[in-house]
Amino acid sequence: MKQNSITILVPVIPDKVHDLLDQLRDIKINSQEGISKDFDGLSIIHYARWVVIDHGKSWINDDQKREPKLLFVVDYDGKEEEMLSKVCESSSTILDLIYVFCKDYPPLNSITPHGRMSFLASHAIKDAAVYIGAPGRSVVQIQNEKRLRNYIREFLDSRSWSGVPAQAILQEIQSKVMDSGDYGFLETENVSLPRINFPILILVGLIALCLFPIWFPIVTIWMLILHFFYERKDENFTRKRSQLDDDFLTDLEKYEDWQNQNQFTQLVDMKEGSFRLISIKSMFLLTNLLIKLVFNQGKLMGIPTIHFAKWVMFEKNSRVLFFSNFDGSWQQYLGDFIDNSGWGLTGIFSNTKVFPKTNFLITGGAYKEEYFLAWSRNSELITNYWYSAYPDLSIKNINNNTRIRVQLMKTLSKRQAVKFLKLL
Amino acid sequence: MTMLELENIQGYLIRGYAHMLYSRFVYLQISDANAVKKWLSKSWLEMTSARHIHDKSKISPTHLNIAFSHEGLRALGLKEENLAAFSREFRQGMVSAHRTRLLGDYDTSKPENWNWGDKNTDSIHLCLMVFGNDKTAKDDLEKDKIVCLNYYRELESQFEENGLKQLFFIDGQTQPDNKEHFGFRDGISQPIIEGSGRVGNKDDVVKAGEFLFGYKNEFGVYPDTPLIVKEQGNLNLLPPDAGGSGKKDIGKDGTFMVMRQLEQDVNKFWSFMNENSKNPNGSINIEDSLKLGAKFMGRWQNGAPITLFPDKDPGPNSDINDFGYSKFDKDGLKCPFGSHLRRANPRDNVDDHSPKESLKLSNQHRIIRRARLYGEIYEGSPTNTTPNGEVGLLFICFNVDISRQFEFLQYTWANLPKNKELYNDPDPIIGVKEQANLGEEQNFTIQDSPVNKTYKNLPRVITVKGGAYFFFPSINVLRYLSTI
Repeated sequence: MKQNSITILVPVIPDKVHDLLDQLRDIKINSQEGISKDFDGLSIIHYARWVVIDHGKSWINDDQKREPKLLFVVDYDGKEEEMLSKVCESSSTILDLIYVFCKDYPPLNSITPHGRMSFLASHAIKDAAVYIGAPGRSVVQIQNEKRLRNYIREFLDSRSWSGVPAQAILQEIQSKVMDSGDYGFLETENVSLPRINFPILILVGLIALCLFPIWFPIVTIWMLILHFFYERKDENFTRKRSQLDDDFLTDLEKYEDWQNQNQFTQLVDMKEGSFRLISIKSMFLLTNLLIKLVFNQGKLMGIPTIHFAKWVMFEKNSRVLFFSNFDGSWQQYLGDFIDNSGWGLTGIFSNTKVFPKTNFLITGGAYKEEYFLAWSRNSELITNYWYSAYPDLSIKNINNNTRIRVQLMKTLSKRQAVKFLKLL
Repeated sequence: MTMLELENIQGYLIRGYAHMLYSRFVYLQISDANAVKKWLSKSWLEMTSARHIHDKSKISPTHLNIAFSHEGLRALGLKEENLAAFSREFRQGMVSAHRTRLLGDYDTSKPENWNWGDKNTDSIHLCLMVFGNDKTAKDDLEKDKIVCLNYYRELESQFEENGLKQLFFIDGQTQPDNKEHFGFRDGISQPIIEGSGRVGNKDDVVKAGEFLFGYKNEFGVYPDTPLIVKEQGNLNLLPPDAGGSGKKDIGKDGTFMVMRQLEQDVNKFWSFMNENSKNPNGSINIEDSLKLGAKFMGRWQNGAPITLFPDKDPGPNSDINDFGYSKFDKDGLKCPFGSHLRRANPRDNVDDHSPKESLKLSNQHRIIRRARLYGEIYEGSPTNTTPNGEVGLLFICFNVDISRQFEFLQYTWANLPKNKELYNDPDPIIGVKEQANLGEEQNFTIQDSPVNKTYKNLPRVITVKGGAYFFFPSINVLRYLSTI
């Protein structure tokens, strides 16, 4: 089943923004018996979050008067319409409690399920690039495969296997699993792991090579113009982490490191002009291409800890949002980014205002570690409510569980069986 | 390569003073700031520097170093604007709601239960580190103790007139072979600070900016050093910010010092090993118990890495440190992925990154460790499991970026159970929760053939009893502080 992502951006009634924040706080506090339980019950939602933006804390030093807005971001299985209809059905009261503070929400006394749904759908905005760490894996599949892995692991722990050949162990696991009768999905569903699309990749590479005399001069001239006419005039971010706002950081920390996964929401403004817009759009184009062809193995530019991440442009491409759901701590997340994909991040975010100094679009920037860490923290937003369907699984666990599942029912050679057992 | 100004760096950062078997860590409050400044104006000369002394007979039998808490710098009179220029971790200290989550200080280890360092215990302003070595003797703890304590008494007699009030002290000891209470040799693998003049495995050479302010770090940038924002004191004593801000740098040649008092439950540790390796008749299988303990730790009791000696302890005092996991043990069949040492320093095998990338990542999360033992000198083993009274480690480490180094190691690599491909495996020595969450497993996986083996229900074998973050200034900065 295909995973999709939606971003719903709704204006908040300005003098109701504090009521909304209080409401979201209550919803968060009661989420285990409330909204999170609803989402659990649907079994199609991977991650979800509500974030209030532009209510004074959006990004520090923003002098423009903004109207507060509410973001609702959902990573889900299947079709948008089905997901929205299920959410509206299962959580109608909570949705009403939240969106009553938003502009143009249908009056509560006459609202219909369809009314809620069309309200949300009509406020959806387009994602610029979406990354998925386990493409093709539905929530149900992820949960099933987790159950399967734990069952096999428990079986392996129940006795000693010393001296038993790998193929014999595999057979025992197979019959144990089949005899249990709990894993019918193994027979009914045919699952394969996504692969790096080499034929297309080679084709794209060949085309790029053939067109080299055309695009290379263009890119070179582009970079030179960018550097001499834009980057040199940029206002750069030059604060260090010690210089950030203490109270704001304390607020951010309240929402972090409660479990093995974390969220990150970031909002930045685009630098003015179409030159920058074309630069960032080209970077998104490249990112999307690589996500489709190469980054479908659980790693984004070598980073093995991201479940879902995406970029969104809104307000006539003048602003950029970044969302991520990942394993581990903010510190590790950013550190990994610098090492593995500093060029990619710099290529995207150097087109946004007050970024650490860059040269030729992709150098400097993120590689200026101290400024970059401070910049990212400074432009981060509080995620008012956050949901994860499987907080106990890392993205590596999820992909490993699928590998186990795919191989389990196959007839494996001795060598393959040895390799298979290593996954457990 | 930059050469470090060793005369200006306090010695304990560069050298472990391993030959000084006895030490006293004295925790003090500043009761009279002017008297303390007056004392600093003379005592900066007395602080042991990292200067290399070729002629061993000229090394002083006593060493002294000093570190300040954030409160201590305030009590001394550093202005609020300048206090605010220090990193957030140091300013907040080891105890905050978020930090407690990161460090995993729950249950018995929660700050409310600490002997020191919590908000409801006496505020610590500074820590004096006093070391002694009897040069007429060799490896004699008792004789070193006499030298150390004589020196301490000399200092202590002047605390009052120097405006200092002693709160308490912890006596730290070192065994000649550097074994800690579980019986394992400790402190073998340390990063080598580039430019410090020390030699060793090139993979262990780490940029000076990871351990000293004022130098470039592993990312090639200058760390977030505390700068003088509001002028005070004799600023001629301070160097300018190497980062080019034009401000004076109070951090240069100094660093942060993390201290944690960790009680070790020797009995729990070895009972778990014994129980999980016992003979069919229920008796202790010493050899297997030692082996299991080595798998948990990553080295044999004598220090040899199990990556190179997977079957048996090759004997005493192995200093072998020149090895890589990627080359010798990619699958973890010798040294499990979850073992304490492999997690704390994964060397050339971080996740599935290339060896070169892995080394780079590992070196961005290194610390210099300076643990000292407290309590009875006791060498745990399968048959030696019950020391008299409380024993433990006074864990000390140096780093410039507490968040990216010490806290990262404790949280991301030790506490999080998702290291490498693991599912439910916290660091078996320092990452296990006393009380697991509902439905949460705490396991140790030994990668094995034909199938991996799981050890379940790990016990928490350490208890945090206290802790604090300190600023470990350069010797020049001590002199500067006397002028504020």
